[in-house]
Amino acid sequence: MSRLAAVLWIFSAALIAVVLFVLKYEVQRLERELQLVSRQIVVDQQAVHVLKAEWSYLNRPARIADLAARHLHLEPLSTAQIVEIEAVPTRPVPGVKPPPPRKFVNAERRP
Amino acid sequence: MTRRVPSPRRPRRPHPAERGVAPVDLMLLDGATSQALEAGRTRLIAVGLLFCLAFGIIGLRVVDLALLRDGNEPRLAAEAGRKTLMTDRADIVDRNGIVLATSLPTASLYANPRQVRDPEATAAALAEVLADVNPVVLAGKLSSDRSFVWLKRNLTPREHYEVNRLGVPGLDFKREEQRVYPHGALLTHVLGLVDVDNQGIAGMEKRFDGELRGGTEPLALSIDLRLQHILSEELHGAMTAFEAIGAAGMILDARSGEVLAMSSLPSFAPQQAGRASEEARFNRAALGVYEMGSVFKIFTTALALESGALTLADGFDTSEPIRVARHTIRDYKPKNRWLSIPEIFVYSSNIGTVHMAMESGTEAQQGFLDSLGLMTPAAIELPEVGAPMLPSPWREINTMTISFGHGMAVSPVQLTSAVASVVNGGELRPATLLKRPEGATSGGRRVISKATSEKMRWLMRQVVLQGTGGKAAAPGYLVGGKTGTADKLRDGRYSRGSRIASFVGAFPMHDPRYVIFAMVDEPKGQKQSYGYATGGWVAAPAVGRVVERIAPLVGIKPIPVRMEEEGEESDLMVQASAEGFAFAFE
Repeated sequence: MSRLAAVLWIFSAALIAVVLFVLKYEVQRLERELQLVSRQIVVDQQAVHVLKAEWSYLNRPARIADLAARHLHLEPLSTAQIVEIEAVPTRPVPGVKPPPPRKFVNAERRP
Repeated sequence: MTRRVPSPRRPRRPHPAERGVAPVDLMLLDGATSQALEAGRTRLIAVGLLFCLAFGIIGLRVVDLALLRDGNEPRLAAEAGRKTLMTDRADIVDRNGIVLATSLPTASLYANPRQVRDPEATAAALAEVLADVNPVVLAGKLSSDRSFVWLKRNLTPREHYEVNRLGVPGLDFKREEQRVYPHGALLTHVLGLVDVDNQGIAGMEKRFDGELRGGTEPLALSIDLRLQHILSEELHGAMTAFEAIGAAGMILDARSGEVLAMSSLPSFAPQQAGRASEEARFNRAALGVYEMGSVFKIFTTALALESGALTLADGFDTSEPIRVARHTIRDYKPKNRWLSIPEIFVYSSNIGTVHMAMESGTEAQQGFLDSLGLMTPAAIELPEVGAPMLPSPWREINTMTISFGHGMAVSPVQLTSAVASVVNGGELRPATLLKRPEGATSGGRRVISKATSEKMRWLMRQVVLQGTGGKAAAPGYLVGGKTGTADKLRDGRYSRGSRIASFVGAFPMHDPRYVIFAMVDEPKGQKQSYGYATGGWVAAPAVGRVVERIAPLVGIKPIPVRMEEEGEESDLMVQASAEGFAFAFE
């Protein structure tokens, strides 16, 4: 009985020692990893910082305007292109005379 | 530990010395043996207790470390998450978060010439990858007998990479920071400058130097970069078209007082600050003070209507020029008849405006201009703010000339915020370059009543519909405003050749959101303007184009008006009474 207890005690002590060392090395490994990741975060943050500046530089309104003029076949929206929904005529129903369309124009014309 | 303590249930094993000895003999043990045994037992117990205590303490300490003390892990975990990049100087961003000024790490190249094996070859290789360096000078530096020489400060990332790729021993980099303005000359007068040691020496960089140097949070300005670009481009267009020497402009949020754009031309890129002319360095929008001309009639009219001295139905005979002392006040384009208040305003009659100012009186005029913030320097955040120039003493003749904007000089910032207070319902909010939280409109100071503000809006709208500001019209956006043309003082005399042409407008006029000011310095009459270089020909079209371009950006819906209502507006002029006006679409 007492021998069994002793064996159990020794075994558990050995087990705990092994577990402790495994844990310790695991923690050390994780700490190294954390350090690496932190360093990588700083590097990435620096890169993001530089890229943000570059993004702002590439998005200069004058440059965008130039690119749009060269590559897009678009024009600035004129107010004549915007109408109220009421100004759109309803779909004609056969046999029913459509109501006269309401005329909308802009408040002023360019002199 | 408990093992050492004999169990009470088990009979005590006889000691080897006791075996085979009768219990009786035990009693006969002599004193010395018994004493030694007793001493051994006591020591055993003492040592056992000591061990117990030590193991107990270690146990407690383990529990303390493992369970009770907050270990390293939470701190490490938190630290990993909140690490922000530390730079010497925080960024400046616009209201939409676009970077306007930032500090970028740069590498500066230095060498230890004692470790450089072949100075000639190294210099030649470096000259190939570095811009503007002289290989002869480099070779000289590299063959010197020192242990440290700068080769080039602030390399570009590409140069940094190329030098690294050369792999020459004896070269090394030192990390430095350089202030970078991605938008160049667009915002120089607002942002300001830093010196070589990254200390703010002008503009917002100077005003918020402490905050920028200490913090990591970017400084958010009220500027909207897109609006800034549009304003700057249109001002530049007007400046070149009329061969002017300069221009200035502002876009102000009429409700909050935030400056969305502030431009002063000519400008310069911060990188070339050393080469910029005095003219380019000068901030015309905040530091410059100018006699604004007829734009001031807004204030004269507002005061007359607010004080109750006059109503929209009143009027004056403008056929006679006013002669005071040695001066004669005339109209630029005389109508030579009785004009109603709206007509005086819309046709920009100096004579009529002087009569209006005389109805209000000098004291009321001073008080009103002061309440609009025109008598004290603008409270904007820039360090470069111009103080207004006021007449001293303030005589009756000054009251008369100031009524149409001569004899008193104010900065565009002052003027624009004053106009904003007239059109926004009557509350003055000091112009600010810092972004305000959405919907924060508190802190206004009432300068005129809501009713007067509405009349002024209608009057300013009529200026664009049928008066001098017709070229500021942007179809659908209900622009209103007032033109101004002032002759500049040259050697104490007003000269007709050099003048300031300006226009201050707001839109949409039934509920103004934005106030826009444009000013062109010394425009020359052009063929396409039939020789005119007035506010209506020079500055008003620029404001109209700005409105047309920014309205879709800021999400203002154009207002269509039914065709039948178009013809009615011209009649309103003469019939206008205190109540009898309305915006055409209402």
